[in-house]
Amino acid sequence: MQSGKSAAQTVATVKPLQIRGRTFTAIALHLSGRPDRAFFEALEARLNQTPLFFDNAPLVVDLEQAQGLDSAAELIQLTAELRRRKLSVFGVQSGTAAQARAAAEAGLISLPGGRDIALERVSRQGSRPEPVREPAPAPAAKEPANRMVTQPVRSGQTVFADRGDLIVVGSVGSGAEVIAAGNIHIYGRLRGRALAGVHGDASARIFCHALDAELLAIAGLYRTSENLGPDTPRQHVQVYLQGEVLRIESLT
Amino acid sequence: MTHDRKETLVSKVIVVTSGKGGVGKTTSSAAIGAGLAMRGHKTVVIDFDVGLRNLDMIMGCERRVVFDFINVIQGDAKLKQALIKDRRLENLYVLPTSQTRDKDALTQEGVKKVLDELREDFDYIVCDSPAGIERGAHLAMYFADEAVVVTNPEVSSVRDSDRVLGLLNSKTALAEKGDGSAVKAQLLLTRFDQNRSASGEMMSVQDVLEILAIPLLGIIPESTSVLKASNEGTPVSLDEKSPAGKAYMDAVGRLVGEQIEMRVNPGEQRRGFFQRLLGRTA
Repeated sequence: MQSGKSAAQTVATVKPLQIRGRTFTAIALHLSGRPDRAFFEALEARLNQTPLFFDNAPLVVDLEQAQGLDSAAELIQLTAELRRRKLSVFGVQSGTAAQARAAAEAGLISLPGGRDIALERVSRQGSRPEPVREPAPAPAAKEPANRMVTQPVRSGQTVFADRGDLIVVGSVGSGAEVIAAGNIHIYGRLRGRALAGVHGDASARIFCHALDAELLAIAGLYRTSENLGPDTPRQHVQVYLQGEVLRIESLT
Repeated sequence: MTHDRKETLVSKVIVVTSGKGGVGKTTSSAAIGAGLAMRGHKTVVIDFDVGLRNLDMIMGCERRVVFDFINVIQGDAKLKQALIKDRRLENLYVLPTSQTRDKDALTQEGVKKVLDELREDFDYIVCDSPAGIERGAHLAMYFADEAVVVTNPEVSSVRDSDRVLGLLNSKTALAEKGDGSAVKAQLLLTRFDQNRSASGEMMSVQDVLEILAIPLLGIIPESTSVLKASNEGTPVSLDEKSPAGKAYMDAVGRLVGEQIEMRVNPGEQRRGFFQRLLGRTA
């Protein structure tokens, strides 16, 4: 795990194990027909638009429009191709019974439900994250993934919380970069760049004591210091997405 | 002034660094080296700016350079042959660098060997870093115990210093030990002009401290005596009459652990610096 020392690990417990319900976000990849060369070319093009954005993001393959794709061999090949592109495929959804069997054979889990909601929410092309219900998929034990930094983040440094929130106790210097899959909390002045929800979590927020940022981004939508406007609050602010708009609001 | 080694048992390697060029690293290295020597500490100042040899000129010994740092690293000369003893101060030595070679001539093992040898003999080893964050600057800071980060009160200098502080926290021998030890970094604000800062033309001391978040070692006022001293080859701290010289001596005092009140123009203003700041904002 890259997130290193994590605040959440300090939760005291003596039990050997705990079972908890858990909700998380994954990306759904909608196929239309069998994956052919054109599909992979289109996928490459999409990934190249936002390099790193989808890296190692959990992903389910939606088979609703790919009825013919029902052999384990094909699914194994597709999985390998996607993983080669750093997409962490773990399951399929909206498949037929035959497809579910093939998926199980290919080591993928078949996820039920979520379809109707998903279709409504996927109003624009691409990668809107979808909620996937428990039970959680098999790969990777769920480690606490928040990351805490107790020193100033200096110019030229990048701090990345790959699978959770990032907490900075100190300031983020001009020319520094803080990135998180979840929320970003800065107990100091933000002068550099802050990118929250980089795996597509549109509900992620950025909080900071003082805002002087070069760039703010949530789930890929960004604003730079130039288009923040003069009446933007600068002290104790939160930044969040409202639809397609990045809002900056005072907390007080 | 004593000529024996003082109470310091463990010698300290201090890197004078900044990232940005032209902010006063070499001037500060010479002044701090001379100041430490005046206080009786046996001190050597090493020029890490291979290819742009300046320290020897600022310290007025350029005509006495025969062998240099690179010769020692490559085994062509002994350390004793390359060290130049200052004519004015008993405890001060200079290890000049080569003007004809480039920074690739520096190797990590070579630098370590020379520093280890110097540690046996000297109380303070002042490393004058080149500008930038490349090889020369990296090796100058790599073995340091402490750092003096030289910064001018303007945004690009402050940002570069911030970058250098990040490197001091990650790319040094102490940081790489991974046991929480770190290079102790302090800020030396140079070319500071009280009037221009007050009028908002220059960044204020608080602005710089707020961004860099490290302790303040000293404030060196912009002064004509600095350029004059450089041209004459005299470390500015030897000029006891100039405000800059006094400010450097105060900074050296703080560097060795003394509590000295922070003044912008030592000798001219007796009121405390922070008192005056408060007086101004009130």
